[in-house]
Amino acid sequence: MKRLGGLSLFALAVALLPFIFPDNYYVTVVAVSAGLHAILAISLNLLMGYAGQISLGHAAFFGIGAYTSAVLTTRYGWNPWPSILVGLAFTGTLAYIVARPILKLKGHYLAMATLGLGIIVHIFIVQMGWLTGGPDGMGGIPTLSVFGWTIDSDERWYVAIGVLLVLVIWLALNIIDSRSGRALRALHGSEVAAEMMGINTAATKTGVFVLAALIASVAGSVFAHQQAFVSPDSFSFFFSIELVTMVVLGGMASTYGAVLGAIILTFLPELLVIFEDYEVMIFGGILMGMMIFLPQGLFIGLKDLLHKLVHKRSNKAKQAASQKENNHGVA
Amino acid sequence: MALLDVKDLTISFGGVTAIADLHFEVPESQVYAVIGPNGAGKTTLFNMLSGIYRPNEGSIRFLDKEIVGCQPHQVAQMGISRTFQNLQMFFNMSVLDNVKVGCHLRTRSHLWSAALRLPNILREERQAEAWARETLIFCGLEKYIEMPADSLPYGVLKRVEIARALASQPKLLLMDEPAAGLNDTETVEMRGLIRRISESGVSVLLVEHNMGLVMQVSDRILVIDYGSRLAEGLPEEIQNNPKVIEAYLGGEVQYAV
Repeated sequence: MKRLGGLSLFALAVALLPFIFPDNYYVTVVAVSAGLHAILAISLNLLMGYAGQISLGHAAFFGIGAYTSAVLTTRYGWNPWPSILVGLAFTGTLAYIVARPILKLKGHYLAMATLGLGIIVHIFIVQMGWLTGGPDGMGGIPTLSVFGWTIDSDERWYVAIGVLLVLVIWLALNIIDSRSGRALRALHGSEVAAEMMGINTAATKTGVFVLAALIASVAGSVFAHQQAFVSPDSFSFFFSIELVTMVVLGGMASTYGAVLGAIILTFLPELLVIFEDYEVMIFGGILMGMMIFLPQGLFIGLKDLLHKLVHKRSNKAKQAASQKENNHGVA
Repeated sequence: MALLDVKDLTISFGGVTAIADLHFEVPESQVYAVIGPNGAGKTTLFNMLSGIYRPNEGSIRFLDKEIVGCQPHQVAQMGISRTFQNLQMFFNMSVLDNVKVGCHLRTRSHLWSAALRLPNILREERQAEAWARETLIFCGLEKYIEMPADSLPYGVLKRVEIARALASQPKLLLMDEPAAGLNDTETVEMRGLIRRISESGVSVLLVEHNMGLVMQVSDRILVIDYGSRLAEGLPEEIQNNPKVIEAYLGGEVQYAV
């Protein structure tokens, strides 16, 4: 059970936070959005951090999920749950269709292609005003209810998204620690060697691309129901870049790193508000500093640092102990 | 029936013919070496045998099944594995995980069942780990099992790559210059490993420049020059073949190791 120790700890922290800080804006509002960001970052990290396939268009799948839910529930009066499923089917199909041609590309070219995908989806959302409400967005999206438990307050949303986040972390950890997860990492390490070990690299890339898109779609649907309002701004190119930043900042190929990156990038702007005009400058400075001093990402960087500190201390203790022994020997 | 039967194999890149009308047969349970000067087309041959390049003409039959037109992962499924002249390590993983990737074809689970960690995953994980450890011990790598791949010296990585290939339980192992860049001690170890692999029932197709090693481990040798077959036969026959001596060994045979 060592494997899930970190997850239990994280779940405990999520559960206790509202009791430590009751009625706190940062817990009930900012943490909820950090949770959604974390889910997105985890999904992007599977694709980018583990499988090594960069995507600058991940917000597209988030947007499709959100808008499918929004349109079906408000314009057609659907129940939210089947809308989420339709969103999943829609996103999954689209991801599957574009995956093969797109993932033949590598490096910068793949980045460009995914960027294009993100922009196209964004343009569709803006231009199809009759369906999506265009640039003004659409409101009045009903909230979710689970077995009669209506998620109608910030606290309840905190619980719901907390549970969802823990579930997604669990799924991601399971995948990484399996035959398929190793295939993803192998793909990143050396594509030709992965093929030679019998891994169908084209199918594996498609699989992880679709999986990441599906997770993003669920996050999108939940986002729409939670906000009760969606507008194209939330799914723009800039949000895709922000997601990439979360993954890189937290640490590529680390699920907890992605979570940490998402939490920091969500909270930092909120905390920097007190600096008013200098907010963006300080934000940029912090990001640059982190990348220069912790290039492996915050999570792995901090872990190494902690490891070093503990190691040093135990070494010192050992030294002291052995010195004592020597002294005794002399005496 | 030969294990591997290559006929009329030809490939050219933009007008340059790298391999021309090559034919040879690899018998089962042998160490079969392919030698030739730099640029003779040995690695190109390996890339065709493993499905990375598609020849312009000719056929490659492995256990009576055609390889030409197959993707590398399909070739791997047939029972061919390989190592690379320039290491193709998964540097983002530990030695153990590298070799566990080698067990890919011996395990079955999918992304979706893995995500939910269904009970069969646990069994499969334990099995893959046991296989990987066994293979690493076979290759004399027990000291390095838990280490990250990017922390190891070149000579060790060469053997990890072999272990990874062996973990897929191939019938034929293609080794592209296993002794390149190794010092004398490591070369002797490599010679022992190649012999053990052969004795364990895996046929070996070897490309190597170290003539001492080739002469000591090979059952048969194919010599190619400018992409064509120059000679084929037992090591003694090759050593005494005037054409080979002239074209390749430069008139004087020297044995290292």
